[in-house]
Amino acid sequence: MDNISSLNYFIPELMLTLTILVLIVYDLFLKKEESNYTAYVAAAGLVFTLVTLLSSYSNVETSLFLGMIAHDPFSFFFKFLFVLTAFFTVVISSTSLEMKGKFHGEFNTFVLLITLGMFLLASAMNLLLVYIAFELVSVTSYIVSGYLKDSKRGSEAALKYVIYGGVSSGIMLYGFSLLYGLTGTLDISEIGRILSQNNSGDLTVLVSFLMILAGFGYKIASVPFHFWAPDVYEGSPTAFTAFLSVGPKAAGFALLIRFLNTAFVSQDNVNMASWGALEQLAWPEIMMWISAITMTLGNLVALKQDNVKRLLAYSSIAHAGYVLMGIVVLTQDGLFAMMFYLSAYYLMNLGAFFVVLNVADRFGSEEIDGYNGLVYKAPFLAVCMGIFMFSLAGIPPTVGFIGKFYLFAALIKGGSAYYPLAIIGALNSVVSLYYYARVLRAMFVRGEAVDSEMPIIKTPVAVIGMLAFPVLLLGLYWAPLSDFAHASLKLLIIH
Amino acid sequence: MLWDLGSVLMFMVTSLVIIGITLLIAKLFRRDNPTEEKLTSYECGEDPVGNPWVQFNIRFYVVALIFLIFEVEIVFLYPWATVFKEMGFFTFVEMMIFVGILLVGYAYVWVKGDLNWVLPKPKYTADFDYSNVPRFKKPDAEKARKLQAVE
Repeated sequence: MDNISSLNYFIPELMLTLTILVLIVYDLFLKKEESNYTAYVAAAGLVFTLVTLLSSYSNVETSLFLGMIAHDPFSFFFKFLFVLTAFFTVVISSTSLEMKGKFHGEFNTFVLLITLGMFLLASAMNLLLVYIAFELVSVTSYIVSGYLKDSKRGSEAALKYVIYGGVSSGIMLYGFSLLYGLTGTLDISEIGRILSQNNSGDLTVLVSFLMILAGFGYKIASVPFHFWAPDVYEGSPTAFTAFLSVGPKAAGFALLIRFLNTAFVSQDNVNMASWGALEQLAWPEIMMWISAITMTLGNLVALKQDNVKRLLAYSSIAHAGYVLMGIVVLTQDGLFAMMFYLSAYYLMNLGAFFVVLNVADRFGSEEIDGYNGLVYKAPFLAVCMGIFMFSLAGIPPTVGFIGKFYLFAALIKGGSAYYPLAIIGALNSVVSLYYYARVLRAMFVRGEAVDSEMPIIKTPVAVIGMLAFPVLLLGLYWAPLSDFAHASLKLLIIH
Repeated sequence: MLWDLGSVLMFMVTSLVIIGITLLIAKLFRRDNPTEEKLTSYECGEDPVGNPWVQFNIRFYVVALIFLIFEVEIVFLYPWATVFKEMGFFTFVEMMIFVGILLVGYAYVWVKGDLNWVLPKPKYTADFDYSNVPRFKKPDAEKARKLQAVE
């Protein structure tokens, strides 16, 4: 489709851009103390974006802007998640004490900019656009992670993030250049076609794949590109940590799925129940190792954490490992399980970080000991955190359990070659139960009854409730979500 | 398979050899007559004063960055101007959107005071009330005076 008629399908992105511009101008008219009013504009803009996104939904896969961008149900699924993530982040950050009086205008602008980048990342069909969207997400994240300028941890986080991000995106770019040298095109589907036709250059394909993986692995925080995650998650403002742990991670997975399923796929059996890897490149084996090591390392290190933010950071690394299990089986079931689990993870992880934010605001602690007796001090928060912890550990009746069930089912169905990975995954779930239970024990078992309740700020509590409720509801009745994920399994393929 | 990469190796070796040869030829044929002026570092015709490893005002960076953005905008305006006649009104709107987005950025730096070279009096002075800022210790008068002198 040519550029001008593509604009009709591009309205959500344009809406987002317009909101960003309006936000910048509106912020200039506000005093510093009033800057959290910009949250209203940002939230309204996101609602409009959501409306236009829903109305632009089509069940057909089209390519926009002369093959630059895919407009398909797959990208719609992720865009939907991104808009909701950004909305909740904007709302909860406007009430966060941590960021009180600290340039909310810029913060909201940056969150929306990252959302725009993620939109493009989930739908990019061209390596050039992949890189630009990737950097739009990364560079803005660097700024926001160092947002609390007077906090030492924040500066450390930003610096580490910049260094790791710069190195890994540089390596990824080198991988892109090798791929371009091999095929002579930047178009992902064209690359896939050429690679599957000629079998020469095995080593170069492998090297370029590993280099590109450095970039993608950094976005989803998988081993060995995970080092930035704990420090950045700990040092960023908690509202942004919540955003970072679900938004860019999901965007990275969307990119990974699209890239592997389009460029590194054997063209014989695309679009069927299973899809084949490129014959000369054993990337499923590589991904299997990465998945196993990522979840094991994340869970084992999380055992020793006393800071809840850090604990959740390592747990989110482990979850990246779980989600990766879905891609190694090379079936539609696996992709479906990944998407289902990502949306489940989105609900529970966002909620857990928001509880951390609220507890830190009201009781001034991010350590596990600070959660002692939370059930007496703030019963609603404690119960919600309990739901999120149960869901993250994968215990029924929560959506986390259903997600894990789908992932393991896809693995078992894939054949006996995947049993070892399934066993490692199951063992890891058991290990992870220990550290989630530590938080639960602090909240419900330790501490003493306190008479007076602390004053409640309504908005964040409402947001947390809005996230905790679907975690339970979808754990009992998950058909809507699984239908949505099934319908979104349509990736644009150009033959 | 590895033999395919042999041409890459030859390319690297050849490029290294060629660099060596050119440097060698230049060394053989050029006049070697260093004077004091030739050996000083080039600073736009000025006599260099002191060590270049000094702290200088961070606002140079800000101004340079802003300048760069609008410089790039101008670069984009040139090819646009050459095709403007054929493409007509649509390109006009397109460029107005582009310039409009940059204008928002311009308004932002202007209002935030990044274009003012002479900033309002810095807060970091001896008589600044530090009681509101618990993390900072009150600096001694000597240090504050020094910092003001740097500003």
